[in-house]
Amino acid sequence: MVFSSFTFIFTFLPITLILYYISPRRVKNMILLISSLVFYAWGELIYIGLMVLSILFNYFCGKDIYLKMCQNENDSSGHLSVDGNQKKQKNMGVRISFVIAIIVNLLILGFFKYYGFLIDTINTVAKTKIEYRQLGLPVGISFYTFQAISYLIDVYRGEVTAQKNIINFALYIAMFPQLIAGPIVRYIDIEIQLKWREESLQKFGEGTRYFIVGLGKKVILANSMGKIFESVSQNFSSGIKMSIMMMWVGAIAYTLQIYFDFSGYSDMAVGLGKMFGFDLKKNFDYPYISKSVTEFWRRWHISLGTWFREYVYIPLGGNRVSAKKHIRNLLIVWMLTGLWHGAQWNFVIWGLYYGVLLIFEKYYLTKYLTRIPKILQHLYTMLMIVIGWVFFFSESAGSALKYLGMMVGIGSKGFLHSQDCFVIVSNWGLWLAGIICCTSIGSGILNRNGYEGNGKWFTDLAYMMLFVITISWLITDSFNPFLYFRF
Amino acid sequence: MRKEMSDVTKRIVTGLCKYVLLFCIIAYIYWVYSYSSTKDVPFEKTKEALLNSMNDESIQNMMDVSSRGLKRYYGFNAAEYDGVMMYIGNNGLSAEEILLIKVNDEKQMNELEAAIKQRMKTRIKDFENYAPDQAQLLREAELIIKGKYIFLAVSENADKYKRVFLKLI
Repeated sequence: MVFSSFTFIFTFLPITLILYYISPRRVKNMILLISSLVFYAWGELIYIGLMVLSILFNYFCGKDIYLKMCQNENDSSGHLSVDGNQKKQKNMGVRISFVIAIIVNLLILGFFKYYGFLIDTINTVAKTKIEYRQLGLPVGISFYTFQAISYLIDVYRGEVTAQKNIINFALYIAMFPQLIAGPIVRYIDIEIQLKWREESLQKFGEGTRYFIVGLGKKVILANSMGKIFESVSQNFSSGIKMSIMMMWVGAIAYTLQIYFDFSGYSDMAVGLGKMFGFDLKKNFDYPYISKSVTEFWRRWHISLGTWFREYVYIPLGGNRVSAKKHIRNLLIVWMLTGLWHGAQWNFVIWGLYYGVLLIFEKYYLTKYLTRIPKILQHLYTMLMIVIGWVFFFSESAGSALKYLGMMVGIGSKGFLHSQDCFVIVSNWGLWLAGIICCTSIGSGILNRNGYEGNGKWFTDLAYMMLFVITISWLITDSFNPFLYFRF
Repeated sequence: MRKEMSDVTKRIVTGLCKYVLLFCIIAYIYWVYSYSSTKDVPFEKTKEALLNSMNDESIQNMMDVSSRGLKRYYGFNAAEYDGVMMYIGNNGLSAEEILLIKVNDEKQMNELEAAIKQRMKTRIKDFENYAPDQAQLLREAELIIKGKYIFLAVSENADKYKRVFLKLI
């Protein structure tokens, strides 16, 4: 089940909301948890068991680490005083429990996501013919495993106490708004809300706005851009030569598709969270207005960037080390970021591409970049981003290089053809809407303060119209993929 | 003293639960791997195995429409898939069909599954009145999705073809 489906919008969500709001406070979390498990099982019945076992395992691991830490604590009350700045003497038992928990989580993720990739790589490098059986990837495994690891690390660091209530912990991992495609919620950001949160009509209204906008981004903009990209991609895969302009049209269409697809889904997740009283952090902050690649990664998939910064980059030393080690740290983080996105070498190349760019900007380019006009800074950034997406959507590194070659005339068929103009001109409204919605102008038209706060007099009508148009689009359109589901 | 015993018990129970769950996860993964994993078998090998399982009489009563059948009956272009094999009954009174397709991605799989199910429903209605035995064949058809393969058998020997397919995959 996806958020942009009729089953979800008109059946699952209304039923869940009704059950949630008529239930007494003490069972609200249980209602939400059961709904989340139903939501997951709807599309992935065979892997619901894995998620439940993962939740239980991580719950007991968190408790185990916490109890062992308490055992070492000098506090006479026997309770661990939580202070992230205190350095704690952790004995070997705590460390072993922590390491085992992390390794098991990584092994589960690694097995489902990477074992085929590993064997294929061995077969290619060592010229062996090891056969293996293919297994489907459990939906959302990258997201909920990272959340579990985030929880364990925060408990080990003493930043949070272990969650005693198993329902609350299970809800943290499995809550359906962020289960399938994020944002990756750090436990420390939601701990209090699991126990107590305030639902209000205003928050519900804000949530509805987020949801409607996210749905519109996904259904209207992302799916439409996706169709343009699909036609270019299919021609490219079939070996049909296209013009330089058409190659750029395809790459830019994908650039817009993936943004509206993912940010739309994140908006819906944030909106759904608000409907149930949760305040989830935003995952995108208009990344395509960035003036550098560094800025882009502060605005794109913010929760993933935060996760890698907190749990990989900073423990490695971050930027508080020598330049050589700093470069090493950045390359490790970006290689892992690429690998997180997919078990293929083109994703690793994509990640390292950004790692190298960030290093280049940090150590050389920034001082020059800040001196040039802003429009050129934007153009440079967008060019780097579009090139990055070519690596991202390509089947292999070779295919990416071939596509990039055709974008500059190598192997392409002329600069522009009449049918290219047709594709561009006939979709002028879509391109214009896409560009506007990449900025805060779109939401600014409707709201003074983004989606929150009091809107203008025509705001509610505009949102209702957007919802109706989106639903109509959904009825008539069968093309409704979601790109980030494969993570 | 009582509190210390309680803390010790808690730690032991928590530790035990952790390891029991770890064992459960390993068992679960083993079960999932055994039950739902698939071999990446080349299409030609799967096609050959299925054709070998069909006896001469079955093949004589059917015609090979692999190259055009997918477009004509389902509206999809066979060139977009890794492999397509399609056999249908020789005459209009036969609902028999053997369809084997290897897709390239999940999106193709979802589209095909929906199209096959829709066509099955339509054909059952078509055959209901004038050839109820054929309509029954359609109801008892075997539709299997495994790995990158989608397999449909509308035949008296559907069960046999299904077993051949599953054994290979």
